Amino acid sequence: MLVQENLHLIRSATDGGGGQQFLYKVNQYGISAISRPQEEISQIHWDVEVIKYHETETIKFDICRNTELAEKTLIFYNDTALNEFLEKAFDYFKELGLLEGMMTKEKGA
Amino acid sequence: MSNLNAQEEGKAADWVPAGDLQEEVSLEKMLELPRETIFMTGSEAARESIRRANVDMAIAYPITPQSETMQQVGYLYDEGYIKDYYRAEEEIGTMSAICGASRAGVRSLTATSGPGLMRGLEAISSWPGARTPIVMLDMCRVINTPLAIQPDNIEISFLLDTGMLVLHGENQQDFYDYPLAAFMASEQVDVTLPCTVCVDGFFVTHARGNVSMIDKKYKLPPRDGWRSAVPAMDNENPPARLSRDAPIQKSNFISYHMHAAWQQEVFAAVERSAKYFDKYLGGLIEVVNPGADTMIIASGAAVSQAREAVRQEGEKGNSVGLIKVKTIRPWPKKQIIDAAKHAKTILVPEFNHAGWLHKDVCATLYGKCEAAIYNGPRVFGGMTMPTEMILDWLTEIREKKQSGNFFVTA
Amino acid sequence: MSLDTVKPSPGFLEHLPIEYRDLVEHGPYGQQKKVTDLGKFKELGEEHPMCAGCAMSLFIRLVFLGLPKPEHTVIVGTAGCGRLAISQGNVPFVYGNYGDTNAVATGIKRGLELRFPEQDKDVVVMCGDGGLVDIGFQGLMHSWFRHEKFTTILLDNEVYGNTGGQESGMTQKGQIMKMSPRGKKDDKMDMMGLAKVAKLDYVARITPTNPSRVVRTVKRAIHVAREFGSTYVQAYTSCNIEYSIPTPDVMQDAFDMEKERYGFEEIISDRAKAYLDEIEKKKKKK
Repeated sequence: MLVQENLHLIRSATDGGGGQQFLYKVNQYGISAISRPQEEISQIHWDVEVIKYHETETIKFDICRNTELAEKTLIFYNDTALNEFLEKAFDYFKELGLLEGMMTKEKGA
Repeated sequence: MSNLNAQEEGKAADWVPAGDLQEEVSLEKMLELPRETIFMTGSEAARESIRRANVDMAIAYPITPQSETMQQVGYLYDEGYIKDYYRAEEEIGTMSAICGASRAGVRSLTATSGPGLMRGLEAISSWPGARTPIVMLDMCRVINTPLAIQPDNIEISFLLDTGMLVLHGENQQDFYDYPLAAFMASEQVDVTLPCTVCVDGFFVTHARGNVSMIDKKYKLPPRDGWRSAVPAMDNENPPARLSRDAPIQKSNFISYHMHAAWQQEVFAAVERSAKYFDKYLGGLIEVVNPGADTMIIASGAAVSQAREAVRQEGEKGNSVGLIKVKTIRPWPKKQIIDAAKHAKTILVPEFNHAGWLHKDVCATLYGKCEAAIYNGPRVFGGMTMPTEMILDWLTEIREKKQSGNFFVTA
Repeated sequence: MSLDTVKPSPGFLEHLPIEYRDLVEHGPYGQQKKVTDLGKFKELGEEHPMCAGCAMSLFIRLVFLGLPKPEHTVIVGTAGCGRLAISQGNVPFVYGNYGDTNAVATGIKRGLELRFPEQDKDVVVMCGDGGLVDIGFQGLMHSWFRHEKFTTILLDNEVYGNTGGQESGMTQKGQIMKMSPRGKKDDKMDMMGLAKVAKLDYVARITPTNPSRVVRTVKRAIHVAREFGSTYVQAYTSCNIEYSIPTPDVMQDAFDMEKERYGFEEIISDRAKAYLDEIEKKKKKK
């Protein structure tokens, strides 16, 4: 079972090709993990992106490739590996949030 | 009843079939038991359903995307959850043999996909008249030339008027829940009919989704072959011969009447099954945002796309409703009228060219509401239906730009 | 139906249909009858709409007599002349779809074995050359190679009798029939040979010239099927209509055919032979 903490939404993958998208959210950042149908079941895997949510309340986001977590689509072949990554990402986002908060304060001062 | 060939097939003399250790509980009770959620493929969800279904005999011929499930059912046989199992010669053989098994009074399971369904259809369409409870899982795929394995549910249209019960599952969860309901409803005395549980191939079978299920120590009560509208052909009953003998074929008015009455009884039994599915599936339809001016009516994987479209419209402040049709046969006519009669606009997204669901929706709502029932959106041949496709139609309809043909019921 | 489970109270016995009472009291339900007793008891199949002089109807009558346990037997057939007589018999009969007999029989036999492991329930496929060898070929072959535990009886009239005289896979080469206007191009299919290749435990070819032999052959085939797996009986049951055999000459034709190319042949595996010796000896001792 995937980590439930920070889980924002589970939905059918919006490209219509089947599969589920799990959206996690920590402050403005988050993770999108998609498990799509495959012709061979053994090929089923997670396509993972680091994302940055828009300011609005709605679920809109851009893929974010300029963090230290990922500079391309990450692929995980099992849930354990994805869960480990999620924990790591959550910590990173929290630190990032603190840093960004400090920067905003500095700018304000 | 136990595994007859276990020792011949290499099991130790003291081997206990896993199914013998399970505890029997009614489906009503099962629905109340605590559940655990696991993220798994539809094929695995079906396997877990079958594990708890107390199946006596499973027969199938491999075809993509069904094979993944039926080979897992083979492992269930090896573990002793199923008493007999074999890979048949092809689908005429499969569908005929499983009908024989059902006539003998045992709980019978088979499964197929697209071209396999077409090949077996002569046998399949004779099951309802033979009053044989059978559950057939149907993992839909393209049937048209050129040959392809992609999802497309046109094949369901061929089942609509056979007298079979037809369920259409949306996701992996449904592929766990529906087969259990199918076995129980099809074996009711006042039903005694085969039931197909359709899902869209790959989207459900070869993809993972959350499935909540009860502990595997439980199983359904066994089939009682004598508790049937037409009892099992086991020489322990006075035989019910009407559907099974040649004399009905004679060309005279008594024969015509017999045949007509027999057909009427089959289709009446389809209607009688509704009360059981209502109980087992929590309603024949599910309604999201009842009362919205715009309603989407869908079945199968199209429901998932419609759900996301409804959610995104909601983010924008637009209330769009959704009617998920769980049972295609029995057709929930009254429920659909009640849920859609107020609507101004109705969309019927489908994964097939024919629009079989759209046709049934139009026929049902004719004269019952004033909605424009749009003929789509529709994809087929394995094409995907992105959420945007439904959203675009909704926007175009709002802006009166959608020129796609529609059916006005008023 | 089973004599054990459906046992009427003595007071109600007289209210049962007279046919059923006759089958139990004087006929072959629960007791074996001999060919020489024919005509003295209620038979399983008496009335039928087959053509006058039809050898197939005679053969079917003898098969009914040969069933070791008619009260525990299901017959599976398909479209063709045979089912007209078989469906009138007092044995449950599945009149299936085209070419589905051996698959249906597989399901029934396995299902009955699961439900009644302590009670022999015999399943017998009986139908024509068109139904079995042409449209039913695939199911027939696979049931043989899987060694399903039932008997297949081929009513070989070498023609599609019921649809009006078209050539079949079992028609002789050169024969002019409907759909072979210039004479059949290929040989009669060698089903005996295929049965041997499939290593069936009991295979027999027969004509209805010797009634006792027909009865014995059917009994053997069913007994061996119960124990070991598929068995096959191929019977010449001429079509006097499509082959223009004058009614009084039907039996002479059967004798001639037996001499020419349809001689009695029995192929029995060693284990089946040992088993048959045992049960047939037991019977003699009785």
